[in-house]
Amino acid sequence: MRSLLLVPEALVAGTAVLLLLGGQLGFLPRSWRGRLPPVVAAVVVVAFIVELWVGGTLSSLFGGGFIQDRFALFAKAAVLLALAAAIAVADWTAEDSTTVGLSMMLLAGFGVMVVASAGDFVPLWAGLELAAAAGVVLVGLRRPDIGLRLVIAGGIATALFVMGFAFVYATAGTADLLTAGQAMANATSTLPLAIPVLLLFAGLAVRAGIAPFHMASVTASLGASPLGSGIMLGLAGAAALIAAIKVAAVLTPVSDTLSLYLEAIAAVAMVGGGAAALGVRAPRARLAYLAVAQAGWVVAGLSTHYLSGLGGSVFLIGAFVLAATCGPVVLAGAEGGEAALAGMGAVRPARALGIAMVFLSLAGAPPLAGFFGEFAVAAALAQGGHFGLLALGLLGSVLSVVAVLGTLRVLYLQSPPEEGRRSVGFALPAWTLTSSAGAIAICIVMVAYGALANPILSLAYQGAEALGLR
Amino acid sequence: MSRLSALLTAVQQASPTPAPVATATPLPVAVPGSSLFQSSLLLSLLIWTPVLVALVIAVLPNPRGRFDTLMKQIAFFTNIGMLFILWIAYNQFEPFLSTVQYEENVSWLSRIGAVYHLGIDGPGLVMLILSGLVGLVSVLASWGIRERVRSYFCLLLISEACVNGAVVAHDMFVLLLFWGASTVPLALLVLGWGGPHRESGAWRLAGYWGLGTVALLIATLALYSAAGANSFDMDVLFKVPVSPRIQLVAGVALIIAAATRLPLFPFQGWVRDVYSHAPIGVCVVVAGSASRLGAYVLLRVLVGAEPIGAQLLSPLLALLAAATVIYAGLVVLRMRDLRRISAYLSMVPGGVTVLGLAALSPLAIGGSVLSLFSGGLAAALIVGVCATLAERAQTGSLDVLKGLAPRMPSLTWITVFAVLGLLGLPLMASFPAYEMTFFGAVKNQPLAAFAVAGGLAIVAAALVVILHRVLFGTPNPDAPGVSDASSGEKWFLGILAGGLLWVGMFPGGPKLPGTDTPIFDPGLVNSMAAGITEIAAPYAAK
Repeated sequence: MRSLLLVPEALVAGTAVLLLLGGQLGFLPRSWRGRLPPVVAAVVVVAFIVELWVGGTLSSLFGGGFIQDRFALFAKAAVLLALAAAIAVADWTAEDSTTVGLSMMLLAGFGVMVVASAGDFVPLWAGLELAAAAGVVLVGLRRPDIGLRLVIAGGIATALFVMGFAFVYATAGTADLLTAGQAMANATSTLPLAIPVLLLFAGLAVRAGIAPFHMASVTASLGASPLGSGIMLGLAGAAALIAAIKVAAVLTPVSDTLSLYLEAIAAVAMVGGGAAALGVRAPRARLAYLAVAQAGWVVAGLSTHYLSGLGGSVFLIGAFVLAATCGPVVLAGAEGGEAALAGMGAVRPARALGIAMVFLSLAGAPPLAGFFGEFAVAAALAQGGHFGLLALGLLGSVLSVVAVLGTLRVLYLQSPPEEGRRSVGFALPAWTLTSSAGAIAICIVMVAYGALANPILSLAYQGAEALGLR
Repeated sequence: MSRLSALLTAVQQASPTPAPVATATPLPVAVPGSSLFQSSLLLSLLIWTPVLVALVIAVLPNPRGRFDTLMKQIAFFTNIGMLFILWIAYNQFEPFLSTVQYEENVSWLSRIGAVYHLGIDGPGLVMLILSGLVGLVSVLASWGIRERVRSYFCLLLISEACVNGAVVAHDMFVLLLFWGASTVPLALLVLGWGGPHRESGAWRLAGYWGLGTVALLIATLALYSAAGANSFDMDVLFKVPVSPRIQLVAGVALIIAAATRLPLFPFQGWVRDVYSHAPIGVCVVVAGSASRLGAYVLLRVLVGAEPIGAQLLSPLLALLAAATVIYAGLVVLRMRDLRRISAYLSMVPGGVTVLGLAALSPLAIGGSVLSLFSGGLAAALIVGVCATLAERAQTGSLDVLKGLAPRMPSLTWITVFAVLGLLGLPLMASFPAYEMTFFGAVKNQPLAAFAVAGGLAIVAAALVVILHRVLFGTPNPDAPGVSDASSGEKWFLGILAGGLLWVGMFPGGPKLPGTDTPIFDPGLVNSMAAGITEIAAPYAAK
């Protein structure tokens, strides 16, 4: 079993490299390109099944740099599921290049998998960079100016993260996460430690696009292709949040140094994201802000420093990565704003239902995946006595749900425009069997996440336990 | 009055002590035909059947609306089927058991202590029957829907499932899940099929009910946290002693949650736009069952589980009840639009129900439970009949509507019934409900009882003036043409009026002459007493 541990990573990374080389060197005939998405989605599903099959084996490779534990299993399974659904549901007529789109998606997913399995600060950093770089490539393909902005923001994030990491390394004397956690148990909360921790989390917040650091990633996701947006909002964000969970677990012994930051970031993200979602009408922008608000909930769980809080955050990350990655992709080319979605419930029912589910889940509306995740975090906040943060989170959720009603109204209650009158940016996404199956799969996963919440939540808690929390 | 005094005596006898009543009271005579059907999934059927049917409707092919009527028929027969299940549940219900019945308990989110725990006691059964009747009526009232029929009936069935789920939930997480989930389909129904101010109505509904959901969540988490954060199961959560401070915090949050739903003054911001502009079928669901959940949650969680909090907050509840009824009466006095008037009138039964809960005496609590049913029917009827009347008369303006009785005889009679039901006059189900509430409240909350009675007098005076003018005054020759209710409208309004009349005439169920054998209805008052004994036990001395 141990020898099969890297099979999911190998499948994902190998397929990405193959597609990239094939596309660039031209050994993939053009006639094949239409068939690539279902084939790649099938490969990712195989990787998902292998991950579930062998992922339970606890092991470490590369001298502790790669750790396979319950946390890695949970995060990687969620990412692979999101990847498969996003690739299946994508409208490839709205993408700039099939091979580049597919390969960047896979590379970003691979980056998240590296972060999830990282046993050391170095692979953690490498995975983060890989996930973000894939997003920059896809964004830059369509909008080089925004791509450049992302590179600058990414550089700042990296600088902050590396500086923070260096100080923590200096304090703990090791880059190994587990050993650093043990070393921190003897450390005390001091100002010299609080500053690098602030830098570390600020870097991760920029990467995750959490308010008030959301300017670069949210803007980038608005100008990108649907897949590029999915990477920026979902995969790159998830990579940063997973890294934040791992770092928070390491720093739990000195929780005083980071509590205030995390609570402040979570509060601004939850309320700001919900309010901004209510204030905008364009579906992609609304989705981006909803993702920001839900990312705030993940951070709120981290601020508790308890097993239940981190378990809730891990559980919510599963819902987040699914919705935030698949959301922009299922929306497809909705650059024309709300009007592009008018009446989609009648003309593309499966896709419209997928959009509705993704929006509602990100808003935390019952009974979908996001609600269960946010409730698990809310229970942990109540348990820890963080009632102020809880109240702000609930306020953000109400704002989010009210915002989503506007999108649902356009989807289902407005009449679709006549086909002849549709202009650029308002075009309906192309219908394919794979895209419909992908949309239905998203709906099933969103509902099943709640119905099967017990085993999933148990796995998430085991994941939090694997990070050394009790 | 002899029937009433017998009724009061029966409730008083059933209420004071929580001791095993089976030993003190003879077992009731079984209704012939009960125990026909035994299913441990009875309550799940009531939740998931409409959801499954909604999914079926959603995927049925319907080219160019060819099968619109079929969709309506499916929704109708689903509701008939659910009423049949309810009738079985009602007849098999053991009225003298103090524990919850038809229990389902399946492990769900064990890590945070949430279980799929369903079960009903007397008040739950009353709410389920109300929801079943209102569900059927809402489908009949929606028969005239022509646009996007599939989506409309899907949402209607889902909202019905959510209400049923909230009623039968015996776990706070499950209750919260269904309570919150009911907001989205109802707001979408208002938004998609409402009148000119539908957007404002839908946003207000979503905003107020969203605020209520947040308040309920805060109350739930406060209790959960104070009880050791082990379980959301009501059997566990409500049995852990909680400090008065936490009870107070949770109680205030629960009152806000209930006040946004019922609604109570000053949280009534959504009623005018929703009831004036939503389709009639949606108004019926909101006024009849969805909004009653507010009082139901107050009864189940605050009064039933947090006696210290309930006692501390009873003056606030009484104040809100009085303010609600008086405010509604004063607004009705100056309103000039029939649908808006009905919107404020629908607040009145909620005020009376809350007065009973504020009084915290077994008799008043019994009255509150009965007024959940009668108030739901009366509110749905008044909102439904006013909307129908305005639709048939092509205007809701009181300046135009005059002397309609000769031209609308059926609607006139039903309107009179609705007003009688709303004011709690004899022969209506609201009569025993109001009597029990006021008799129970006059000792513990005398000021509030008199204030609510005064508010009812204002409402009555306003209604007399309005009825006289609109129905029996001199006809307005310049008014647009009017027509009487269609047979479909008569049916849906008739079912609501019939429900009010039936329970008003036979609160203990009809019996074979000279015997104590019920014919086919064990009696709503008998059935509802099942859980009240336990709920009212801490206040028995009052």
